[in-house]
Amino acid sequence: MITHTVIPSGRTWHFRRRVDVPIWIRIMIRLLAVILALVLVGIVLKLGGFAPLTLGRKALQQTLGTAYGLQQAVILATPLILTGLAVAVGMRMRLWNIGADGQLYLGAFAATAVALHVKGPAPVMLSLMFIAGAIGGMLWILIPALLRAYWNLNEIITTLLLNFVAVRLITYYAIGPWRDTTAAILSSTRRLPYELPMIGNSYLHIGIFIPIIVAVLLTLAIQNTRWGYEVRVIGGSRSVAEFAGIPVLRQILVVMLLSGALAGLSGIIEVAGTTHRLSGTLSNSYGYMGIVVAALANGSPFGVLVAGFLLAVLLNAGIVLQTSGLSVNAMVAINGVILIFAAVGEIAAQYHLVRKASDSPGEAGNQGQEHVEDEQV
Amino acid sequence: MNVISGVICAAIASGTVIILAAIGELLAERSGVMNLGLEGVMALGALAAIATERVFPNPFVGLLAAITVGLLLGVVYATATVSFRASQVLCGLGLSFFGAGLSGRLGAPLSGWTAPVPFQSIRIPLLADLPLVGNALFNQPFLVYFAYFILPPVVTFMLYRTRHGMHLRAVGEDPAAADACGIPVNRLRFLYTCIGCALAATGGAYITLAFTPSWIEGITGGRGWIAIALVIFGAWRPLPLVLGALLFGSVISLGFVAQIQGWGIPSSFLAMLPYLSTILLMAIPIALRSKAVRNLSASPSALGVPYLREGE
Repeated sequence: MITHTVIPSGRTWHFRRRVDVPIWIRIMIRLLAVILALVLVGIVLKLGGFAPLTLGRKALQQTLGTAYGLQQAVILATPLILTGLAVAVGMRMRLWNIGADGQLYLGAFAATAVALHVKGPAPVMLSLMFIAGAIGGMLWILIPALLRAYWNLNEIITTLLLNFVAVRLITYYAIGPWRDTTAAILSSTRRLPYELPMIGNSYLHIGIFIPIIVAVLLTLAIQNTRWGYEVRVIGGSRSVAEFAGIPVLRQILVVMLLSGALAGLSGIIEVAGTTHRLSGTLSNSYGYMGIVVAALANGSPFGVLVAGFLLAVLLNAGIVLQTSGLSVNAMVAINGVILIFAAVGEIAAQYHLVRKASDSPGEAGNQGQEHVEDEQV
Repeated sequence: MNVISGVICAAIASGTVIILAAIGELLAERSGVMNLGLEGVMALGALAAIATERVFPNPFVGLLAAITVGLLLGVVYATATVSFRASQVLCGLGLSFFGAGLSGRLGAPLSGWTAPVPFQSIRIPLLADLPLVGNALFNQPFLVYFAYFILPPVVTFMLYRTRHGMHLRAVGEDPAAADACGIPVNRLRFLYTCIGCALAATGGAYITLAFTPSWIEGITGGRGWIAIALVIFGAWRPLPLVLGALLFGSVISLGFVAQIQGWGIPSSFLAMLPYLSTILLMAIPIALRSKAVRNLSASPSALGVPYLREGE
């Protein structure tokens, strides 16, 4: 995009591509994307007769201003961070896992299957449930992963279609063979006999630490192991990786299965820690919001922690504002706007305004040192 | 006999929605832009179509409203993707969330409302009397005729027999070479992305004004995604795409039949069929190809890659 504004002195302003995009600009742009999206929403709300500033203040008060609100945000952040990590790890290799939602359901499904049909001491059972959850998520992404690795079939559509299948599968079991015949709840299973222990008197369960641990592990793995190096090279250029002898096919499978396992983990934590019952409405679009989280974090696990918490606060605000007339659908729409703004912002960050003499518009930019872009943590 | 005729009729009707959206997506993808926001565009088009019937009880006005909404969304998406060159996957997903959320929110007051004036079927005199297929193929609203008999041949002709179509294909395969020949790459991409969205919105309008003439949240049921999958099935050609849409429509109507006839399959599993069969449909063309050419994708080579003139 080159725009010209002619100033009488003979110098013109150009948009010139940066040679290297500093991290702080990347972060700023994403923050700006979220803020702009909210401003846009505010304008729309104003036109619709709501009072956005009052709503905003009320939302902030109830979400970040109270202990309950903060705890709710942390509880919501747990699945968001894990699904965000799931999508982010795939993003590093330019693989898009849009099926995180379905894998979440299958993880919860596998864990519920274990919990309802196997008996044992709680710690053992919970560990089994975790393993089952990860395996459930992995199994659900297996076919799209194979199709992508061997036949190069678009994984966006295959993973996404399986989301629809997953909801229907879980709904069948929740209102059918596993339904709760005692309580008045018609559409979910009975309460799981094993739960993640709570932390003291709060609403939090110990599962909230897992996303943090996983994020740290992933960061270490991506930066310091051979596997992480290979992932980064494949993400940079597949042909370079192939020339270097990196087993691309295997890594595609490994990364996609890892992605599925992470999403499955978020499922079992949700069902064993927060809801304690399996139903077809377990996920509040956590899988889809994970995409927004990963996009805001630009694929960095640490960024996912921050972005996940940010989006959890937003989601919580949306829930709080439901009493004021805002619906859940509005949150989905807002997420979409944030995503578009973040995507555009990513490109905008690559340009900066430069004032040059008007006789050199076509120069290939050489601003200072040539600098290979560093993959940030 | 009646059952079979009914199945064919439902299959053709279901297929219409998909064909409209899928051909729109085919045109956009041929120019190199992947529009993942079809689902959202379809939902908003569907809502716009039925909502205008509250004011103007005429389905054609509803159709016009849907096309306008589609064009508007297309402009937004194309600006982000073609003009600003943002990531097509992220913008497409964002558009789809936006459309789904907004249509759910704005359509809440209309939930369950039936369209007072849906599209009427137009009966073609001699052909409609053919046994079995007559009623299904030739006694349908005009959008069905448009989707099956007008759109695919016109698009095929345009793509493969006209200079303009050749330019379009060139833009999708190698935009740098096309640019060097003087073809306005970004302008073509912008145009066809908007056309694609308009067609997807038309598909949505067909749902709420003809197929199930009412509105509830989620009435599009993932058909936008299935349309994108069908473009892959059809290897980016209109005619196999129509075949795929018919196959898909048959799966849906078989699902209806299974429920009505009481074959004992739980409804949840029947509801899974369309999505599972779509994945199968996507995999078939690749499975059938010989091992040597298997990894060569039939997609336009520059699909999904924003075009940046060298030196910009």
